[in-house]
Amino acid sequence: MEKTINNWIPFLTLIRREIKRFMKVMIQTVVSPIVSSSLYLLIFGVSLGSQVNLPNGLPYITFLIPGLMIMGLINNSFQNSSSSIVTSKFSGDLEDIRVAPISNHQIIWAMGIGGIIRGSVVAFITGAVGMIFHYFMVGELLPIKHPLLFVMFTILCGLIFSFCGIFIAFIAKTFDQLSAFSTFILIPLTYLGGVFMTIQGLHPFWQKVCHLNPVFYLINGYRYSMVGVSDVDLMTTVVVCLLATGVTYLMAIYSLLKGSFARW
Amino acid sequence: MKALEVKNLKKTYTDAKDASRSVHALKGVSFDINEGEIFGLLGPNGAGKTTLISTITTLEKPTSGELNVFGLDVVHNARAIKQNVGVVHQEVINTGYFDVTEILEFQSGYYGILNNGDRIQFLLDRLALKPHAHKKVKQLSGGMKRRLMIAKALVHSPKLLLLDEPTAGVDVELRESLWKFVAELQKAGMSILLTTHYLEEAENLCNRIAIINKGEVNYCGSPKEVIAKYSTKKIHIKMTNGDVKEILTSAAESLNIVLVQHKISIADVADIQMTEGKLEEAFTKVVNQ
Repeated sequence: MEKTINNWIPFLTLIRREIKRFMKVMIQTVVSPIVSSSLYLLIFGVSLGSQVNLPNGLPYITFLIPGLMIMGLINNSFQNSSSSIVTSKFSGDLEDIRVAPISNHQIIWAMGIGGIIRGSVVAFITGAVGMIFHYFMVGELLPIKHPLLFVMFTILCGLIFSFCGIFIAFIAKTFDQLSAFSTFILIPLTYLGGVFMTIQGLHPFWQKVCHLNPVFYLINGYRYSMVGVSDVDLMTTVVVCLLATGVTYLMAIYSLLKGSFARW
Repeated sequence: MKALEVKNLKKTYTDAKDASRSVHALKGVSFDINEGEIFGLLGPNGAGKTTLISTITTLEKPTSGELNVFGLDVVHNARAIKQNVGVVHQEVINTGYFDVTEILEFQSGYYGILNNGDRIQFLLDRLALKPHAHKKVKQLSGGMKRRLMIAKALVHSPKLLLLDEPTAGVDVELRESLWKFVAELQKAGMSILLTTHYLEEAENLCNRIAIINKGEVNYCGSPKEVIAKYSTKKIHIKMTNGDVKEILTSAAESLNIVLVQHKISIADVADIQMTEGKLEEAFTKVVNQ
């Protein structure tokens, strides 16, 4: 009865499916986030940004572009895995993955990679649009100061939020529970994590509160890799990001073991 | 080797807050399926058929008991078993993003098969889906969706096929063509477990059946045996003197004995017509016993 199969094929198929899925709804998954990021750039970066003086001396648009890029990465990596699972729960084909010989680890990594790719596409296009604004305002393109760190933070951030998306989508019993996580946890943590502002101007108490937010470290690590400034030291940032990756991976595994593949 | 062995299988859905509300979906089910056999699992709604199929496909974990597929335990060899099992679920899926061919290509990939074009084309052809190969699922009729689900279950050429009410809500013509296809699959050596509410079809198609009710197997054997044991045969006798007698007897009873019991001499009989018992009648008796 033994049929030996190449374990990479189911894994690569799942990645291909994840990518093809978001490419099929490009307007919703890629174009829409880019439009909103461009509006942020125009309103905050160009219009209000000219009146903002940052403690680190950077032009506000230079500070803002990495923030908007990682916001796109966070939102889209989360949405890619969570919406893939939830729409499959609605249509009933999530069970196809469960009854096929694909391990939980393969499912999680495939969805993680799908999330990184969608998140990166949005982040890079946001960055490209930001470069145009940056060139006209500052007179030069925005260079990436630490490319290896940039790649590392892109991968870690994409994985962390893809894993979060898997966790929430599997344990959620209704669509409301999924959107509640996004509204009450993900968006506040992202906005208060320093997408638009540095914490240096905040009261010391609020600065300490910001240090409890793991997204704060991700945003600062990502920004450091691009423009070389951060509100927190690099080593702490790397440790927190690696820990967050491990914890969210375990959460994703737990959700696959305990959550439901059944139809909503 | 048996295609499937189910031994004293139990599945309980526990209610953590109130144990009295726990549901015992399977209460010690036992039966087996031979290689190359079509086995019918019959039972009223809520009998435990879908739970059993979900347990074979590892969607559900058994609470206790044994479940072996081609000699491998389902709990410890889940991946090897999945590779050899195809399943058509009861509920029709509605995948929104992909067309029929893409769905079948992904399904092949999930089972580790690259370049499965020939098999996909064969299934599209055989299940009359070729004209719809590039349609999305939402553009398909109910019958086409059913056929797509069967094609999905067969892309990896499984050795055991599980059909959970594959003809529910399907018109007569399609039902007949599906059963014909199932018979062909059996001829090719596939073992098939099917659940259906169409008892006449189960009677014609299945080598053996199990009747399950409230999580317990009430009967397991060939359709003929259950009909003989539990249904009634109607014997219509026209006598040479013009009298007509109608006798209801067990389907297993031979005509000779019936005539002797009713003190009818064969010399006085002008004509005899017999209406055999039906599986439907036997099924109702077994379920209500």
